[in-house]
Amino acid sequence: MNSEKRGLGFYVLTAFFVLFVLFLYGPLTTIFILSFQGPNGGLTFPMNGSSVHWFKNLLFEQQAVGDFGGAFTRSLLLGLMTMVATVVVSLLAGLAFRRRFLGSGPLFYLTIASLIVPSILISLGIGLAFQVFGLNPAWYSSAFGAHLTWTLPFGLLIMFAVFNRFNPSYEEAARDLGATSWQTFAHVVLPIILPSLVGVGLFGFTLSYDEFARTLMTAGTFNTLPLEIYGMTTNVTTPVLYALGTVTTVFSMAIIVVALIAIAVLRKRRARKVAG
Amino acid sequence: MTKKTTSKGVSRRQLLKGAAAAGGLAAGAGVVTGFPTIWAQNPITLRQFGTGVSNINAIAEKCKADLGITLQMTALDSDAVSQRVVTQANSFDIADIEYWICKKVFPAGTLQPMDVKKIKYYDDIVPIFTTGKLTPESKIAQGTAPNTVGFVEGPDSKTFAKSPTQWMTLIPTIYNADTFGIRPDLVGRPIKNWKDILDPAFKGKTSILNIPSIGIMDAAMICESAGVIKYGDKGNMTKAEIDTTIDFLIKTKKAGQFRAFWKTFDESVNLMASGEVVIQSMWSPAVAAVRSKGIPCVYQPLEEGYRAWGGGLGMAKHLKGAQLDAAYEYINWYLSGWVGAYLNRQGYYSAVLSTAEKNMTPDEWAFWMLGQPAKADILSPEGKVMYTVGAVRDGGSFKERMGAVACWNSVMDEDRYMVRRWNEFIAA
Amino acid sequence: MSTEKSGVRGLPHRETVHPPSLHPSPRRGEGAEALHRNARMTLSRLAPYLQATPLTLILAAFLVLPIATIAMVSFWDYDSIQIFPAFVFTNYEETITSPVTWNTYINTFKYTLIVWALTLLIGFWVAYYLAFHIRSTTMQMLLFLICTIPFLTSNIIRMISWIPFLGRNGLLNQTLMTMGIIDQPLEFLLFSDFSVVLAMVHLYTLFMVTPIFNTLMRIDRALIEAARDAGANGWQILTNVIIPLAKPGIAIGSIFVVTLVMGDFITVRFMSGGQSASVGLMMANQIALLQYPAAAANAVILLIIVLMLVGGILRVVNIRKEL
Repeated sequence: MNSEKRGLGFYVLTAFFVLFVLFLYGPLTTIFILSFQGPNGGLTFPMNGSSVHWFKNLLFEQQAVGDFGGAFTRSLLLGLMTMVATVVVSLLAGLAFRRRFLGSGPLFYLTIASLIVPSILISLGIGLAFQVFGLNPAWYSSAFGAHLTWTLPFGLLIMFAVFNRFNPSYEEAARDLGATSWQTFAHVVLPIILPSLVGVGLFGFTLSYDEFARTLMTAGTFNTLPLEIYGMTTNVTTPVLYALGTVTTVFSMAIIVVALIAIAVLRKRRARKVAG
Repeated sequence: MTKKTTSKGVSRRQLLKGAAAAGGLAAGAGVVTGFPTIWAQNPITLRQFGTGVSNINAIAEKCKADLGITLQMTALDSDAVSQRVVTQANSFDIADIEYWICKKVFPAGTLQPMDVKKIKYYDDIVPIFTTGKLTPESKIAQGTAPNTVGFVEGPDSKTFAKSPTQWMTLIPTIYNADTFGIRPDLVGRPIKNWKDILDPAFKGKTSILNIPSIGIMDAAMICESAGVIKYGDKGNMTKAEIDTTIDFLIKTKKAGQFRAFWKTFDESVNLMASGEVVIQSMWSPAVAAVRSKGIPCVYQPLEEGYRAWGGGLGMAKHLKGAQLDAAYEYINWYLSGWVGAYLNRQGYYSAVLSTAEKNMTPDEWAFWMLGQPAKADILSPEGKVMYTVGAVRDGGSFKERMGAVACWNSVMDEDRYMVRRWNEFIAA
Repeated sequence: MSTEKSGVRGLPHRETVHPPSLHPSPRRGEGAEALHRNARMTLSRLAPYLQATPLTLILAAFLVLPIATIAMVSFWDYDSIQIFPAFVFTNYEETITSPVTWNTYINTFKYTLIVWALTLLIGFWVAYYLAFHIRSTTMQMLLFLICTIPFLTSNIIRMISWIPFLGRNGLLNQTLMTMGIIDQPLEFLLFSDFSVVLAMVHLYTLFMVTPIFNTLMRIDRALIEAARDAGANGWQILTNVIIPLAKPGIAIGSIFVVTLVMGDFITVRFMSGGQSASVGLMMANQIALLQYPAAAANAVILLIIVLMLVGGILRVVNIRKEL
C-alpha cells in the first residue's frame, strides 16, 4: 500500500477526521474562551470583561469551597494505579482467553456484567460491603477496586480485538528458533501489541481520572477531582473551573509535544548508532 | 477538600488569647479555658461531610485558629451526603445534612443525638427548630418542619419526639425561605403569585427543582396558587393529591412551559445568568450570584408565602471520648457567632441570631435581618460588594420572610408513591 | 506497524496450528529431561488459570459481592423512613407493572439505538482512516492522543460548558446568527433529545473507534492486495473483505456503546435539563431518597435486559471464536 498514490478517499476521510476532531474540541472552545472571563464574570456568556484572573485564582488562591490541589493529586495517583493494574491484568487475562480453560465462559460474562451494572449501584454495593466487613473505604482501596470493575472490561475487550486473528505463526516461528515462552512473549508478542497496550493504558487512565458515579460512594473521606468539582457546584461556582479545563488541555498537549520530541531524538540517536 | 491550617509557630494558647481579646468574644471565653487541657498534647481532627453551601474553607480555617481543631471538610452534593451518612458510618465525624432527609437518615442509626445540656446556646436557638414556632403565636408550617425531626426520645432512641427533649438530632446551621428568582429585565410584568410561573408568556423559560422532595413542594405551591387543588396538608399529601399535582405538572411540562429542571446551586445560577430561564425556583445566594455578574435578578416575595428549608450538623455514632468532647466544642463554637455572621452575610440565616448579631456591624444587621436600606455598601464574606447604598433585601426582614413560611421541604408518608409518580413526570 | 508487515512476509505460514502446550519444540527437546518437560507442560497447562486469576479475584471482590448485596436488597421492603430486611416481590412487581418503567425503557432504547448507529458510522470511518490512511505508528498514536485530550477535562466541566455552547445565547447560536443563517436562536439545541444524543455521541464515539481500529490493524494487508489483484473495486473490498473481518471490533465497540448508554444517568440529566428519563436516572432518583430496594430491583432487571442485548450481539458475532 505504501507505493500507492493518495486517492480521493484519503482527502474525503481526512476532512471527515478533521471534522470529528473539531466536534470533540467543540465544548473545549467555550471552556477556553470563558476561562478568560473578567473577575466578575460567570460560567456562561456574555463575557464580563476579560482577564487572566481565574488562572491566578486557580494556581495561587484558595477556593471558597473545596481544594483542587489535594483532589487532583488523589485523582492523578488513582488514575496511574488504575492504568498500571488495567494494563497488566487485562493483558494477562487476554492471554488466558487465547486458550481454552475451565470457567472461561462464566468469567467472560462476568466481565461483561461488570460493564453493565449501573455505576451508582456498584458504588453503593462496594461502599456497603466495606461497611459490613468493617473496612474503611478510601480512594486507594475501595475506589480503586470500583474503578477496576470499570476499566478491566474495557481493557479485556480491547485485548480481544488485539488478539483477534493474531497470527500464531509469529510465535510458532520464534519457538521453532528455540525461544522459551517468555522470550517468545517478550521479543515477539509484546513488541507487536505494544501500541495497543499503550492505548489500553491511556483508556484506563482517562476512564479512572474522569470517573464520577463509581467513586461517589467509595471514595471514603476525601474526594477525587470529579467529586470535588461536583461538590463545588453546590455553591457559587466561578470560571476557575474553566481555567482548570484550559490548563489541563494545554498541559496534556505540552506533554504530548515533549514525548514526540523525545521519540524523535531517540530515533535519531538509534539511527546514528546503527549507522556508526 | 482537606483544609490543613498550621498555627505557624505561634502557640495555640497565645493565638487563642489574641483572638479572644481582639474579637471580644465573651462567648468564646468558656471555650478557651476548657480547650488546652484536653488538646494540648492530643491534636484532634474532625471530618465533616456536607454540601458546598455551608462546607466553607474559611470556617475550617477559623475553627483551627480558634479551637486548634483541624476540620477536614469534604463537599458533596446533598444526595451524596445523605447516602454516605447512611452507608459509611465510619468515614465521617460530623455530617451536615438537610432536615427533610434527616427523617430518613437518622433512623438508620449512624448518628447519635446531642445532649442539649452540653449545647451552650441551646436556649438561644431560633425557636423554629425547637417548638416550631417563630413567635409563640405563629402557626407551624406544613411539611417536614425541623422541629418534627429535631428531637428523639432518648440517647439511644431512633424515634422522633413530638416535643423538645434533652436529645437533639441536628444542630441547625443554615436555613432560608425560598421563592422565585426572576429576571426583571426579561419578565416584563409584575410577579405576585406562585401561579405566575404558568404565564404562557414564559413558555420554555421557566424552571423548578429536580429533587423530588423539594420539587413536589414547589409544584404544590404552584398548584394551590393556580386553584388546581386545595391540599389538606401539602407537606403530607394523600395519593389522590399526589396524582392531581403530578398530572398537572405533566400537563404543564408537555405544553412546553419548562426549559429545564435544576439540581445544584450552580445550575440555577447558570440557567438564570445565561438567559435560558427568566423565572424559576431559586435560592437567595444564587440570586446574589447572578446579580454579582452584573445581570439584573430579583428574589421575588410571593403572596402565598415561602417554601423553607434548613440544614444542621449531626454527630457520628462512633464519636466518643476526646473526639466527642471536641465535637461538642466545635458545635458550641459554631453557634458562638463568627460562623453565624458569615452565613448571614451570604443571605442565609443562622441558628443563634443573638451571637451572630455581635459579629456583624449594625448596618449589616439592619440590612440582612431587619430589612432596612443599606447605609453603606454591603460586602460579601469575601469582601466583594453585593449591594450598594440604599438597597433593600428582597422580601424584607427575617420576621417577614421566616414568618411567612407556607411549607417546608418534606418526606411524606406516601413518599414511595410520590417518587414513582415523580419519575413518571420526568419520563413524560 | 511496518515491522509487523515485514514480519508477515518474512515468516513462514504454517498450515496447521497446534496449541502451544502440545508442541514442544523439537530442536530444544533433545537433551531435556522428562521431568523437566513434564513440569513445563503442567505449567503451560496451568498458565491460562494463573493468567486469569487476577481478573477473577478483582471481579469476585468488587463485582460479585456488590451484585450479591444488590440482589439481596432487591427483595427487602421499605417505607418512607426505613428499609427492612424481608423477602418480598413488591419491588419487582411495582417496577414491572408500572407503565413508567416501560416508557423509560423505550426512551432509553431510543437513545441507545440512535447513539449506536451514529457512533458506529462515525467510529468506523475514523478507525478506517487511522488504520489504512495513516502510515506510521507514531502518527497513529499522536492522532489518538489528540482525540483523547478533550476527555482529560473533567466531564462535569464539559457538561457545564455545553450550556454556553448550545444555549439560547450560546456560541453556536450567536455564530449562526452572525453568519445570517438563522434569525432566531435555535431552542432545540439544548435541553432536548438532540442535545442528549449529541453529548453521548461526543462521549462515546471513541469507544467505538478503539476496538474497530485494533481489528482493522490485524487485517492482513496481503488479503486486500489479493482482492484488488482479483479485480475487486474499493467498495467490494470494503464490503467483502474489510467489514466482515472488522466484525469482532464492531461487536466489541457496540457492546461498549450499548452498555454505556443503557446505564447512563448523568448525561441524560444534564443535557435534557432533567426533562428526559433514562433507566439509570430512575435508579439515581430512588437511591437519592434512600429507597435502595426499589433501585436494586430496577438494577437487576436492567442487568438482565442488557445481558440479553449483549448475548444477541455475541450471537451475531462471536468475538471469542477468532482469538
